[in-house]
Amino acid sequence: MAQPRVLVVGGGLAGLAATMRLAELGVNVDLVSLVPVKRSHSVCAQGGINSVNALTRQQGDSEWKHLDDTVYGGDFLQHQPPVKEMADWGPKIIDLMDRLGVPFNRTSEGFRDQRRFGGTLYKRTAFAGATTGQQLLYALDEQVRRWEVEGKVKKWEFWDFLGPVLDEAGRCCGAVCQDLVTMQFKAFAADAVVLATGGNGLIYGRSTMSMVCTGSAVSRAYQAGACYGNGEFIQVHPTAIPGADKLRLMSESARGEGGRVWVPRKPQDQRDPRSIPEAERSYFLEERYPKYGNLVPRDIATREIFDICTTDGLSVEKDRLCVYLDLTHIPKETLDRKLGGILEIYEKFQGVDPRVTPMKIFPAVHYSMGGLWVDYQKSASGGLLEGSLRNQQTSLPGLYAIGECDYQYHGANRLGANSLLSCIFSGLFVAPTLANVCGASAKAAGDHTRLFDAEIRRHEERHRELLARTAGDENPYTLHQELGNLMTRVATVVRRNDQLTHAYDEVCRMAERWKRCAVSDTGNWTNQNVVFTKALGDMFPIAKLILKGALLRDECRGAHFKPAFSMPGLTATDPEGKRSEAEQWCDAFEANTRKWLKSTIATCGPNGDPEISYQDIDTSLIPPRPRLYGLVGGDAIEEAWKDRAAKAAGQAAGKGQPAGAGA
Amino acid sequence: MIKAADSAADLVHGAGGDDHGAARSVVRVRVLRQDVAGGESYWERFEVSYEPNMNVISVLQKIAAQARSQDGRKVAPVAWDCNCLEEVCGSCTMLINGRTRMACSALVDRLQAESGDEIELRPMSKFPVVRDLVVDRRRLFRGLEKVKAWVPVEGSYDLGPGPRISPEEQEDAYPLSECMSCGCCLEACPQYTKVEAVRRDDESEADFEKRRKSAFDTGFVGAHAISQAVLFNAHPTGRMIADERMEALTRQGGIQMCGNAQNCVAVCPKRIPLTRSIARAGRAATVWALKKLFDR
Amino acid sequence: MSESSPSFLERHQFVIYRLFSLSGLIPVGAFLAVHLLTNASILAGDDGRTFQSRVDMIHSLGPLLVPVEWAFIFLPMLFHAAVGFVIIANGLPNVGSYAYVGNVRYTLQRATGMIAFAFIVWHIMQLHWLGKPFGGGKFDPHQAASTAATALQPTLTSILYTIGILSTVFHFSNGLWTLGITWGLWTSPAAMRRANVVSIVVGLGLAAAGLGALGGFRSLDVSKAREAEVWTEKQKRALSVPGGAVAPSPIPASTH
Repeated sequence: MAQPRVLVVGGGLAGLAATMRLAELGVNVDLVSLVPVKRSHSVCAQGGINSVNALTRQQGDSEWKHLDDTVYGGDFLQHQPPVKEMADWGPKIIDLMDRLGVPFNRTSEGFRDQRRFGGTLYKRTAFAGATTGQQLLYALDEQVRRWEVEGKVKKWEFWDFLGPVLDEAGRCCGAVCQDLVTMQFKAFAADAVVLATGGNGLIYGRSTMSMVCTGSAVSRAYQAGACYGNGEFIQVHPTAIPGADKLRLMSESARGEGGRVWVPRKPQDQRDPRSIPEAERSYFLEERYPKYGNLVPRDIATREIFDICTTDGLSVEKDRLCVYLDLTHIPKETLDRKLGGILEIYEKFQGVDPRVTPMKIFPAVHYSMGGLWVDYQKSASGGLLEGSLRNQQTSLPGLYAIGECDYQYHGANRLGANSLLSCIFSGLFVAPTLANVCGASAKAAGDHTRLFDAEIRRHEERHRELLARTAGDENPYTLHQELGNLMTRVATVVRRNDQLTHAYDEVCRMAERWKRCAVSDTGNWTNQNVVFTKALGDMFPIAKLILKGALLRDECRGAHFKPAFSMPGLTATDPEGKRSEAEQWCDAFEANTRKWLKSTIATCGPNGDPEISYQDIDTSLIPPRPRLYGLVGGDAIEEAWKDRAAKAAGQAAGKGQPAGAGA
Repeated sequence: MIKAADSAADLVHGAGGDDHGAARSVVRVRVLRQDVAGGESYWERFEVSYEPNMNVISVLQKIAAQARSQDGRKVAPVAWDCNCLEEVCGSCTMLINGRTRMACSALVDRLQAESGDEIELRPMSKFPVVRDLVVDRRRLFRGLEKVKAWVPVEGSYDLGPGPRISPEEQEDAYPLSECMSCGCCLEACPQYTKVEAVRRDDESEADFEKRRKSAFDTGFVGAHAISQAVLFNAHPTGRMIADERMEALTRQGGIQMCGNAQNCVAVCPKRIPLTRSIARAGRAATVWALKKLFDR
Repeated sequence: MSESSPSFLERHQFVIYRLFSLSGLIPVGAFLAVHLLTNASILAGDDGRTFQSRVDMIHSLGPLLVPVEWAFIFLPMLFHAAVGFVIIANGLPNVGSYAYVGNVRYTLQRATGMIAFAFIVWHIMQLHWLGKPFGGGKFDPHQAASTAATALQPTLTSILYTIGILSTVFHFSNGLWTLGITWGLWTSPAAMRRANVVSIVVGLGLAAAGLGALGGFRSLDVSKAREAEVWTEKQKRALSVPGGAVAPSPIPASTH
């Protein structure tokens, strides 16, 4: 290849950040996206983007604390060096986005304003109104458009990534993609391919994610041999507006301003909610958590709302699970002043005024912490070695993954306003790596024409085979709905092994049924029907690895909650009993950590069935510690744990081992 | 689980109970279809089961699932664009009951109240139809290129924070920055007319691309691009190439094409003050033209 | 789409459209205002004497009148009309789908522009000496009030004049408002609303003047006016003051 060339798949924050930086480094970029890149799912992020800043620094904050909050929030399931590097880059990234013209909210002095988000004590979050993701994406879209005019970037919008092309040595040397308008196939030769294709919420049917978030690109890479990490970790947001087409986010601020969550005590009470007397309402969060009330942490709120609808059968509606989020007791003027924007969203999509009628809400799948397994190279300082060919590389050499579709930054649970940071960071950070790949492969470049032709033929064959399936008895849309319903029931908030086992078999059957899916459109022009059917077929391998990962992981960690394996609080009331129970608790915690503080690694076996293995986690920077939020006897456990930690530190110092030595 | 309809039959015949108890158990839709770019268009009617809170997207999803017309014929599903479904991505613009709007925020109850029984769906008329309700909006993005809608930074390396900006300036800029390139302002603009370029057999892709861009540039650039030019000309770094943007805005198809019908601002789903932007750009163009005349 | 390099019109579209906008105000619009106000002097109730003196004032230009008419009235008007037709041809009114006030005004602006153009051509042919070869040119500057009044007597004529005057006035006053947006004089919605009030007031004023003049001519006692004109003519001859200017006027105020 005469000119260095990289194929970026996906034009959200990560893909655009990588494209911009690559173009700047003199690398030509082909940017493939299912939709015009300006319409990517990143636009949906509302809250903000985290980084240490001048203000928080003076309150004792540091990049180290950002790292700590992130790994603590993620229940220590992520390798720490990449997170450290990301936290270190935070301030630079916000500055950059500021320079690119993102209209961040301002203080009266004209500096960037910040707000506080969950999981931290500091006001780390910069924001642009209620559309921070949209604003960040547009800034990058604009820069990429600039490079497009310069001729460094070529966009291929309305193109579908069908799979990587691997050479004889198993190295990714390009990809086959399909034009969604003409349905033509094309092989893209590239020194490196980078996937930035986001999450896979559509596996759950309806979620807060956009319609392109099928996870198909990642699944195709997985089926081609790339490993998938931590698939079972799926973040569920407690309050979303159920819709027939998707679940739209309802900001936590509605509860912050005094919103009350309740259900009628009589199942599916059909009366107008306003006419149901107080005594016949169950304010279940307030009843079960008198201290925190409606403002319990996200995961608890999610679990309780889910539970009251499924286990107790008290959903407001019969066909659709939901509970009331009630603001009607708050004066309208207050609501308009403090929540105007988000209440407008509800009114716009539900056609109901939430100032007059209680909102109906339900938890919704929101983010995939897991994703393609990617490598990194640790630096001497405990961060990452910039430009290393290993950074963000999947288990297939030459194939890279960034953004939500990698598994690297959020562990078992993502903190609010960290996703935008991880997307932009991984995009910028992978660019020098890819530039170096280009330099290295320029020497080794071979002629892959025949390989590409063969791959195109293979994909054409699969496509033709699908088009020919007009007689099947399965409807892809209905099958998708079934898959979504099943996954939502068993693999979101509360997980039980019997259900997971059963669901795994069921998904295997669905995957077989998919083979009998008939397409209703057999044409070869903008055939969305066949494209969807293809994407649906690629959902099953991922659904299976989510279920299998969840089934095997017999513990509670972050977003993965299995009541059968939760560690109960202390029961003793006397100090001595408490201490001894706390010690036992800590022993159990340590044992669990030894057993389960590991990344779940899935490799695609025959028939799309996953083979699961586990990989140790680099916790060299911050030793794991228990998360005790709201647990009975938490203070006693904390005390016991601190004593242990101090003892361990003393021993380590005695042996003269420097903490966090570089690999 | 979340929704009880677990078979195609349920979807078609409407398992969802109608809580309102009204006669409305189905939604009737009339779609202006077109099988290929440049092909003939024709009407097709569909009927799907009614559910409370339905929007046009969920109607189209049901049409895709049943793939049958109202009279029971097997037909190809209607093609349409969508992505976020919460009115921030700008994908699903179409003509609903004759008016340009986003399909995701068009609620069936309200549409039926305004048009009676049948809902009418048509593709945008100012862009070439690709298929059914899918149109080719590349011209819209070409407009952003034309007016250099970006901040001309010197690279993406860390060079410290951006310029200080007062809260007032931010509040002024923010609404303009919410433009999601949906194209509603262009569809409703009587001055914005369709430009369609068809590739010739003997033409290379690059040549066609070039010819198409220059064809785009002959037509009106539209309210969205003018507003973006105003946005970036107000930014402290952005305005360093303000003259280049004014040059673009006063070329053929520039701001002079505006006919002041002010439909743009009336149909904008994000309620962006587009006419304010146009008037500001008009003022800047006046000053710029005079400067050019006298400073020459 | 054009393959060739852009035409002169396309290359200078901005300047041409801005001159088009400006020409609507100056000189065409300004002339319209002066013309209607001059004609309204028929309402002075002196059997057209004031009106005659205004006409005389204009005709005091003598041989300069023709070049002045062409340079400041006919050519700018033709330019405004020509560009206007190009604009109308390239637009796609859609008031059926978007019945917003602004859009109704947009559509009316184009409709009234075309009506106004047709009306003005007819009006010139009917009264100005340019129309003589076509059997028009009925206005005699020496017998200003009586000839004008005679020409306007038929009912159909006065109906068409009413339509023509109202269209022209709407086109001008609405154009005044859009001109302010085009040139960036009023940019905020609030300023646009204020400017709108002003343009409505101007429009109502001019409509009153125009229709008032029409009514004035129609209710004029032609024989009395004729007498007054004969008397004035005699006076002028006696004083041999050409044109009979009463006071100096910087603007050529009428083309009757």
